[in-house]
Amino acid sequence: MSATSITIVKVRDVLMVTMPPDPDDATISALQENALQGMELHQARRLILDITAVDTVDSFFARTVSETAQMVALMGGRTIIAGMRPAVAITATQLGLSLRQVETALSVERALDMAEAEGRREARR
Amino acid sequence: MGNAEDTHHETTSDDPGLDGQAGDLLRMLVENLREYAILLVDTEGRVLTWNPAAERLKGYTAEEIIGQPIDVFYTEQDVQSGKPERELRVAAEEGRFEDEAWRVRKDGTRFWANVIFTALRDKEGTLRGFGKVTRDLTDRKQAEERILRQAQEIMEMAAVPVVEVWDGVVLVPLIGTLDSARTQQLMERLLQRVTDTASPVAVVDITGVPAIDTQTAQHLIETIKAVRLVGAEVVLTGVRPSIAQTLVHLSIDLANVVTRSSLSAGLRMAFDILGLTVRPMREP
Repeated sequence: MSATSITIVKVRDVLMVTMPPDPDDATISALQENALQGMELHQARRLILDITAVDTVDSFFARTVSETAQMVALMGGRTIIAGMRPAVAITATQLGLSLRQVETALSVERALDMAEAEGRREARR
Repeated sequence: MGNAEDTHHETTSDDPGLDGQAGDLLRMLVENLREYAILLVDTEGRVLTWNPAAERLKGYTAEEIIGQPIDVFYTEQDVQSGKPERELRVAAEEGRFEDEAWRVRKDGTRFWANVIFTALRDKEGTLRGFGKVTRDLTDRKQAEERILRQAQEIMEMAAVPVVEVWDGVVLVPLIGTLDSARTQQLMERLLQRVTDTASPVAVVDITGVPAIDTQTAQHLIETIKAVRLVGAEVVLTGVRPSIAQTLVHLSIDLANVVTRSSLSAGLRMAFDILGLTVRPMREP
């Protein structure tokens, strides 16, 4: 599975990154690279990581996602993880995936709603 | 009927009965007994005799089956692993062999059988063949499996009931202690329900949890973390004074968890999260 199996789309000021099912280590590493570059390139304030298609995760995945969220936060953005499957949630909990700097959403639609709502709140301040 | 010596007659391969009236009655027994397939098998494992119950149970007529090896009654895996030979060998060495296993009928369908092989030896002790008695226990086995399955379902449901109490609100009224096994069950069922129904709020009520210790609290915290990861919020309700005291005394930090003392307060919180309010229908 090559790194090109990650889909990256800019939607307003949100960067949507979609993970393929069963990503290998190279793909997971590429996720971090591409997400950060994409955030900078498009000046996005939100990163939505769509993992609806991911069935299983290992510690490398959990760690990379956690790190990416922290890096995004340092760049002034926020990360929303969307569509985590139950089995993945159980594994991630057992692996101690940290929820700092990460919000979660039941679906990509809700993630977009969340990003929009947050954006409006921020604009009002 | 006389002592054992008298009734121990020689048998030949084509006339396996006893002599005289006892012999006739015995033959009638074998012919009329409905529940037991009774057959004789030669030392090579081939069928020598057949009875009506055997035909009813296994599907073969006497003409079709006499002379055939008993392998045809066994499943493919059993034949490949050498089960028929093994069973006859044990019967020859120890005098008998009993087993409960799957057997195959003429039409290929399976039945659960209780099988007893008995080694038949003549006065000199030479092995002359085997007696085989087969009983169909399929009904009993199916009933056992059904009961087991139902018991498991009941246990699973009772152990972790997960109820959709409103659009977008899932409720888990926990009753009893929360050990690791139940926590696993709780997590799986709750997470599945939350994602299946796309419910943004899960209310976990621990009114029915008698005591909370560090372990239980850890399990709860784990569950809450997992629910958060899939994108739902958790409201923990039923935190009574005794539980509150225990949590503080054990320095268990539920700081990130929204808690309420009663289920109704928890539901109100759930509506709040969903942006809903409850209003009377008419001005009083």
